[in-house]
Amino acid sequence: MHIVVLAKVVPDYEVPASDFELADSRAHKRYKRMMGLYDENAIESGVQLKEKYSSTLTIVSYGNKDDIPVLRKAVAMGCDKLLLVTGSSDDASVIAANLKMALDSLGDVDLVLAGQQSADMDRGLVHGMLAEKLGFVFIPQIAGIEYLDGQWKVTQNTETGIRELECREKAVLSITSVPENVPRIPAVRSIFAAKKKAVDILPAIEDKAMPVDEVSVEIPKMESVCEFLPAEDDIAETAKILLRRLREERYI
Amino acid sequence: MKTLIIEMIEPKRLGELVTVSREFCEKPDIVAVGSGQIPGSFAKAYQVEDTVASNLISDLASLILKEGYEIILLSASTLGSGIAAPLSIKLSAPVVSEVIGIKPELVVERPLYGGKAVATYKLKKMPAVLTIRRKYFEAADLQGFTESKLLGSDGKKVELITEREEKAEGIPLEDAEVIVSGGRGIGGAENFPILQTLADLFNGAVGASRGAVDEGWAKPTQQVGQTGKIVAPGVYFAVGISGASQHLAGIANAKCVVAINKDEEANIFKRARFGVVSDYKKIVPVLIETLKEEG
Ligand SMILES: Cc1cc2nc3c(=O)[nH]c(=O)nc-3n(C[C@H](O)[C@H](O)[C@H](O)COP(=O)(O)OP(=O)(O)OC[C@H]3O[C@@H](n4cnc5c(N)ncnc54)[C@H](O)[C@@H]3O)c2cc1C
Repeated sequence: MHIVVLAKVVPDYEVPASDFELADSRAHKRYKRMMGLYDENAIESGVQLKEKYSSTLTIVSYGNKDDIPVLRKAVAMGCDKLLLVTGSSDDASVIAANLKMALDSLGDVDLVLAGQQSADMDRGLVHGMLAEKLGFVFIPQIAGIEYLDGQWKVTQNTETGIRELECREKAVLSITSVPENVPRIPAVRSIFAAKKKAVDILPAIEDKAMPVDEVSVEIPKMESVCEFLPAEDDIAETAKILLRRLREERYI
Repeated sequence: MKTLIIEMIEPKRLGELVTVSREFCEKPDIVAVGSGQIPGSFAKAYQVEDTVASNLISDLASLILKEGYEIILLSASTLGSGIAAPLSIKLSAPVVSEVIGIKPELVVERPLYGGKAVATYKLKKMPAVLTIRRKYFEAADLQGFTESKLLGSDGKKVELITEREEKAEGIPLEDAEVIVSGGRGIGGAENFPILQTLADLFNGAVGASRGAVDEGWAKPTQQVGQTGKIVAPGVYFAVGISGASQHLAGIANAKCVVAINKDEEANIFKRARFGVVSDYKKIVPVLIETLKEEG
């Protein structure tokens, strides 16, 4: 069994709004680069499947060579191989076309995992597009995966609860976060070993971008109006003031 | 413009999409997903009982091409995100997901960078597929019902084996006027019931940050934020929550945020109307006592 996990390196997603700035409509280059959070959930899910079914696990990414050191974290977590397509488009369809090209080059992929949403674009489109381009089934928001009697048995977290689904075909699954796929912290030894691992690099292919123009990107103003209530000595008084203020302003 | 709504039969979700559709047409058509009567008045209604997105893509694509729909509206939900991207490839259509604003002449807005930025796009070709973020548009009042035609389904790729609703006691999170949410600062599952007690006194509901859900202290259906529930209550208590932008994305339309956090530098205070810098274990029990005394 050959499992592929799609991973994307992004600017630090924990930078607070007050420190966040743009340059050319994208996050300023000064922010630290890191693996997307849901992508790490997907890698963790992939590593667990590898451990359970002795599968081969390949990380595929589309992006910049400078981010290879960050991608190596996936190897340290337990992936066998890294494959990077070098390119810089943010267009979901272009990214999906390039990922398809990379998967075609691998040839024998049975299952593709991806994060539910990237930690910079907030959109959750690339994996579903890739699935359609590959002719695979796409199922979003997956929290658990098993392979039984020749089919994938997956659990999906919906807005209202949990579903169990079965699928016989090759699939692209987007992975949501649950306590069971909180990413492991790789051992120092694995981190060093990962540094020596070769990375396969493919140049990007040309593909038409979607007929959508990005007109502008702006940072909305967040106005700080917080009224701090005194909470040092008399906490009972603080509680009373809070309730009074909420009533005065007719919130409750 | 010829507009098609694709949505589960759920009045609020449908209502929000009907509101959005008015930017494009007078009366939209609908593909209603699931069973039951279709509330509201639509020009033409189709119904499909299968609620698994991947089983619907081919039939939806054929219908859209046959009828010449120009705008396809879904909500940014499990169903919507399962349909939108594959459908856009099948139709060679542009797709914009998680839309939070619509302007004239096919200009739409959506967040970037965990909601720290907003991007504006212009659609240049039809049909176009949009998924709409919940709670950003007022739900239209749906009068009456529309008769529907059954939409065929050519073979299941994915089989739904079981479905379990996570029913919380009391009022649903999205409908609550008061929400008490706990984060990683709550420290353990055993500490969540105290938040429930506070919520109950307001006839409210308990939410959580991704931090608390990842720890297993709260259910995934309780997660509030960009990838959880979008809520717009009158009062939102953020207890032991740092206020990451992805969490704030879920409460953009909350009227009053009360932050209880022991770190006065926590980002949540930048979004809060009222702030209490304190260990929640001190203030929350006192709040409960005071409310009980007042009856
Ligand atoms: C693509 C993406 C999507 C995401 N979607 C979501 C989402 O939908 N919802 C979401 O919530 N997050 C989401 N996140 C995660 C988000 O970035 C944060 O990691 C998360 O919100 C942090 O949770 P937290 O505030 O509970 O934990 P922390 O950031 O660890 O904060 C805990 C807070 O508790 C305070 N505290 C500790 N002890 C006490 C005490 N005794 N009394 C009072 N205060 C105390 C601390 O001072 C701290 O501020 C997403 C991230 C990504 C990358």
